[in-house]
Amino acid sequence: MDRKRVPGPELSVAPLVEYPVGYKRWTPLEEKRHDLKRQTEDMRPIYLKTGLINQANGSAYIELEKTKLACGVYGPRPAKKLGGILSTKGTLNCEIKFATFSCAKRRSNVRVLLESDGFGSCLAAAITAASVALAHAGIEMLDLVAGCSASYIQIGPNPASISSRTSSSKARGSISTQIFMDADLEEEKYEQGAIVLAYMPSLNEITHVLQSGKAEGSTISKSVEYCVEACNKIYAVMHHALLESINENKEAL
Amino acid sequence: MASSTTASLAASPAFTFSASTFQKLHPTEYFRKFVSQGVRPDGRLLNSFRPTTVHQGVITTANGSAMVRIGGTTVVCGVKAEVAEPKLDAPDQGYLVPNVDLSPICSSAFRPGPPSEQAQVVSDQINRVLKESNVLDLKDLCIEEGKAVWSLWVDVVCVSYDGNIYDASLTAVMAALANVRIRKPTYEEGVVKVSGVDNTDEDDNSSFKLKLARTPLSASFVLFDTSLTLLADPNFAEEAISEGQISITIDEQGKLCAVSKVGAATTSLTSMRQCVDRARERSQELRAIMNQHQ
Repeated sequence: MDRKRVPGPELSVAPLVEYPVGYKRWTPLEEKRHDLKRQTEDMRPIYLKTGLINQANGSAYIELEKTKLACGVYGPRPAKKLGGILSTKGTLNCEIKFATFSCAKRRSNVRVLLESDGFGSCLAAAITAASVALAHAGIEMLDLVAGCSASYIQIGPNPASISSRTSSSKARGSISTQIFMDADLEEEKYEQGAIVLAYMPSLNEITHVLQSGKAEGSTISKSVEYCVEACNKIYAVMHHALLESINENKEAL
Repeated sequence: MASSTTASLAASPAFTFSASTFQKLHPTEYFRKFVSQGVRPDGRLLNSFRPTTVHQGVITTANGSAMVRIGGTTVVCGVKAEVAEPKLDAPDQGYLVPNVDLSPICSSAFRPGPPSEQAQVVSDQINRVLKESNVLDLKDLCIEEGKAVWSLWVDVVCVSYDGNIYDASLTAVMAALANVRIRKPTYEEGVVKVSGVDNTDEDDNSSFKLKLARTPLSASFVLFDTSLTLLADPNFAEEAISEGQISITIDEQGKLCAVSKVGAATTSLTSMRQCVDRARERSQELRAIMNQHQ
């Protein structure tokens, strides 16, 4: 038993959620996004701000509609000497933590993620926030790293919508795979696979690709292209947030 | 500018420090200089609190939530309602489980791992205020007697730490509890079901709010120096050099719900009285701030 926390019941479960007959939940059949305001290639609007944690050397807060994430950077501080061996390399320790109330099911005690809506986008947001927080801490880096996610979702069969689409040549039968940028949780339930890409926009270099699930080679390479494009847009937001923090500092002085 | 400083350095035989160096070397002495003039380094008077904001309903995945900022301290509280079996000796009572998490993200003073001593103390203080002041009738959380009850997990996450975590956490907990909406459950053969349809209407009958008997809110003070001067709403630096801490928790009728005084061997009765009087004013202020955002 955990004596360091206020004890609760040993077992508790989320109640079963029941939908009335005829209630229509979102499905990818109609080729519309869960969030009707977005097209398949649209990201959620990003809010990014630095310097919310005043004890940290650098910090960033990012919000993609429902996904909210705070990141703090502490250091650099002298490394512990490992058996007297002098190392010329530094270490970067990274920790991600979900708040217990961040998901539909309460997470028991496992950077603080305050609320999550979609897991791929969560990781992408974490990468973006961490990079901005490091820059805010004044740590020298090659470039800012922007993170972006995309999901492969099969749409159809829905003949009406397929025939109306002229651009899609990849439709096999009545089912085709569509790339949904920055998918939210409801959309991720239908995904065949997903990709998270981290990219350094001004060096034009990819630092990290995490692809899971199955998809055709062409879909994957296309999604990488889309992600790179989206990362460039995110970069503009990151740039803006950092510039703003500099201006605020100037005003404070 | 630079040349004139060097000239004055050369002229005076004693060392001179910049203010920030002085603060690092002798934090207590540095504070004493300010406190003797009746102000604090951040420009506040001795008995003034930092600007406070309360926002409710910031987390949509939680049943109730609130974000509270007191100066540089930011906490987020999320309440999640889950179904659990009641205790054998209280078959019609639910659970209310508050916990405070001081993770390493909010300050370099906290290490990763199990909750620190400070986190345990704050969690326990809040737990006692909620339980012993009967803030919530646990019988309201009953779904089916002896079978199923609601368990309210009240988790406070500190995002940014700059002192006075108790006031911030308790305010966040109370604001989040006031914000809780739970869908009305149905109990059938050992299964608890709720409707999944989003109903955003304020006065719909498909969900219920918690009936809070009272809203205790607190005001904290530290005792500074051997003179035991009272400083209201201490920040991180003030907590670090304080001799002791006093927290007064008061409900909306001005009744005391909890008083805690730790450290600093003894305190005079007059300063305790001062604290209570100031806490009365402060809790009214806080209540006004809370209601304004509701």
